[in-house]
Amino acid sequence: MVAGVAAVFFLLTACTKEVPVTVVYIGDSTQFNPKPYTIVSPWFFPTQMNIPADNPLTVDGVFLGRTLFYDLRFSGYQSADSQMCCATCHVQENAFECGMNGAFPNGHPVGITGIATPNVMLPVVNLVWQNDGYLWNGLIHPDNPQANRRSLEDVVSMAVYAHHEMQSDTNKARNAIAVISGYKPLFKRAFNTETITFHLMAKAVSQFIRSIVSVNSKFDQYLLHQISLTTSEGNGFVLFVTEQGADCFHCHGGDGNPLLTTYQFYNNAKDSVFNDSNDRYGVTGDPMDHGAYLVPSLRNCELTPPYMHDGRYTTLDEVINFYSEGLVNSPYVSPLMHKIANGGAHLTPQQKADLKAFLLTLTDYDLTSNPAYGPPPSFP
Amino acid sequence: MKNFRFLLIAFLLLVFFFSCKREDPIVDIPIKYGNIGFQFTHNVDGQALVVDTLIYTNAAGNNYMVNEVQYFVSDIVLQNSNGTFFSFGTGSDVHYVDSDLPSTSTWSVPDNIPVGSYTSIAFTFGLNEVRNLSNVFLNPPESNMFWPEFLGGGYHYMKLNGKWVDTASNLSAFNFHLGIGQTYDAVVVDSITGFVQNYFTVTLPNSAFTVREDKTTTVEIIMNMEKWFNTPNVWDFNECSATMQNQTAMQRAIENGGTVFSVGPIQ
Ligand code: HEC
Ligand code: HEC
Repeated sequence: MVAGVAAVFFLLTACTKEVPVTVVYIGDSTQFNPKPYTIVSPWFFPTQMNIPADNPLTVDGVFLGRTLFYDLRFSGYQSADSQMCCATCHVQENAFECGMNGAFPNGHPVGITGIATPNVMLPVVNLVWQNDGYLWNGLIHPDNPQANRRSLEDVVSMAVYAHHEMQSDTNKARNAIAVISGYKPLFKRAFNTETITFHLMAKAVSQFIRSIVSVNSKFDQYLLHQISLTTSEGNGFVLFVTEQGADCFHCHGGDGNPLLTTYQFYNNAKDSVFNDSNDRYGVTGDPMDHGAYLVPSLRNCELTPPYMHDGRYTTLDEVINFYSEGLVNSPYVSPLMHKIANGGAHLTPQQKADLKAFLLTLTDYDLTSNPAYGPPPSFP
Repeated sequence: MKNFRFLLIAFLLLVFFFSCKREDPIVDIPIKYGNIGFQFTHNVDGQALVVDTLIYTNAAGNNYMVNEVQYFVSDIVLQNSNGTFFSFGTGSDVHYVDSDLPSTSTWSVPDNIPVGSYTSIAFTFGLNEVRNLSNVFLNPPESNMFWPEFLGGGYHYMKLNGKWVDTASNLSAFNFHLGIGQTYDAVVVDSITGFVQNYFTVTLPNSAFTVREDKTTTVEIIMNMEKWFNTPNVWDFNECSATMQNQTAMQRAIENGGTVFSVGPIQ
């Protein structure tokens, strides 16, 4: 048997000798080197990824995107006090939201000209598994009649244009980057051209964003049987995934859906009057979508206050109290909020503490500390 | 030396192939094939389902609406008039239907079906214990149907979500969900003592059809939604509006499930 295996092995090695070796240029910074970038995740994560055929992830593309994501000159402005980059708002240590501990203490970001964004933040995390539309109302989706409102690449250019974000334009942004000669080799390596266009900038930033995954929270380690949960966390988990308990899982996932969201759009019973033209109804025109917004992933929710699209809650305790006894009925509430008739799940103080303990197991310190998601070692 | 090894292996391979050839059956009866497809539709009281609209009244007198229905059918078996059974291969043994995703209502089965006349169609509503394992569907939309491991794992067989006007005249929500059931300790709250497989077999009445060579026969499978709430058990949402973790309710629901499906036009 051993001899047989050895013979097969010998045969294989003998064969590979005949195969011509592809020459790869390693270490030469001027060469196009489309080495694929691999996203690594535990086996229970989705296998289908939202990566367009014309923008596959490469190591050099992701690196270029990361450099641009952190480069203040991306906004196209020259004077330092009006410069802004994606990382001004999407902060790694806050799971790529702005949080309430940094530049925007109320958690509500303000763009370059001082205008607040219409909603609070969404994280740029695990977007490679988000398929049904970006932004709180899902405006950016593949079936959008407007051809420039369909992909993650389009969200990047929207961030540059938006008056409540960079209030710039894509030509300005392109010119600001194109004059920096040090960027040319990075584009050459990533896209095989030194001609810098905004289109390629958006592609690179999108590659970087798609590479940002949160897959190693305490909850993931628990699902991998590497650790166990405390009694309180375990009780909170049971509350989270049971219909008689707090019943969060129909919208926010759980052991069978580690993204901790279905990425669908629902009205979760916060209000009875709806006049936000940027809600889901504003996109679909379906009356059931009044007051409906994207179900955000609860991964890292510890780090991402304030909560809900309008940031009305600043702590997880407030959110839990809302789901426990603060539900407001209206014709548009999702039927998955089936405790609506009683105004909520009516949790005891102990159950609330347990549910919160579970939510805190969703924090992923790998995400917040991984140097590959942080600023590049240097800027060109 | 190297050449010799290759020659030897080539020789062994040749011997192997030729010896196989000799054992091939001598007579080869040509079988002709056609295809089958399914169209899943949803009716209430004989009319096509209108979602999100409060226009229905069930046998218990509840005024209700349906928001969406999502379910699995699996292990379809076609009974041939010659007495044999045909089941689909891996990849077409489970189908997911979602009233929010129109593309799921049409299912063209890739398998080649032997031509002939068939007397009936049967399938499993939901997923049997061999299939219904956690994390077998890693991608949406199927993964959004997951059923927590704590409650037996696997997937919801069905989510039927809607609203009804409750006794206080409020619009309340119902989640008519089917999946693995639990038995609970009578004393210790939430302490599960066992699991119950609630999937069931549906044999479609009047489902005889013919498969013709190189033709696709399309069978419409109708879910008559009001039957979930009236035959044989009359369902009052005021008594039960959420079925998960309630095996008594689940049992009544699956009894009704046996009457829910019928066959529409076969083309
Ligand atoms: C002024 C703060 C700010 C800046 C700067 C900013 N963003 Fe955002 N970003 C937001 C806010 C707020 C949202 C939520 C928008 C909404 O849906 O209303 C968001 C949402 C997004 C989303 C959608 C996430 C999802 O889940 O749908 C992406 C992608 C994104 N930003 C990428 C970027 C990129 C790339 C840049 C740099 C070019 C950038 N952002 C710069 C504040 C900012
Ligand atoms: C019907 C689906 C649904 C159910 C069930 C549900 N949620 Fe939500 N959840 C949402 C939606 C939609 C939002 C965003 C709403 C908005 O922004 O206006 C949200 C937001 C949140 C947020 C804020 C996240 C952020 O980043 O802003 C938290 C925390 C949260 N939910 C926790 C829970 C918990 C805990 C439960 C169970 C008690 C639960 N949810 C049940 C749909 C749901």
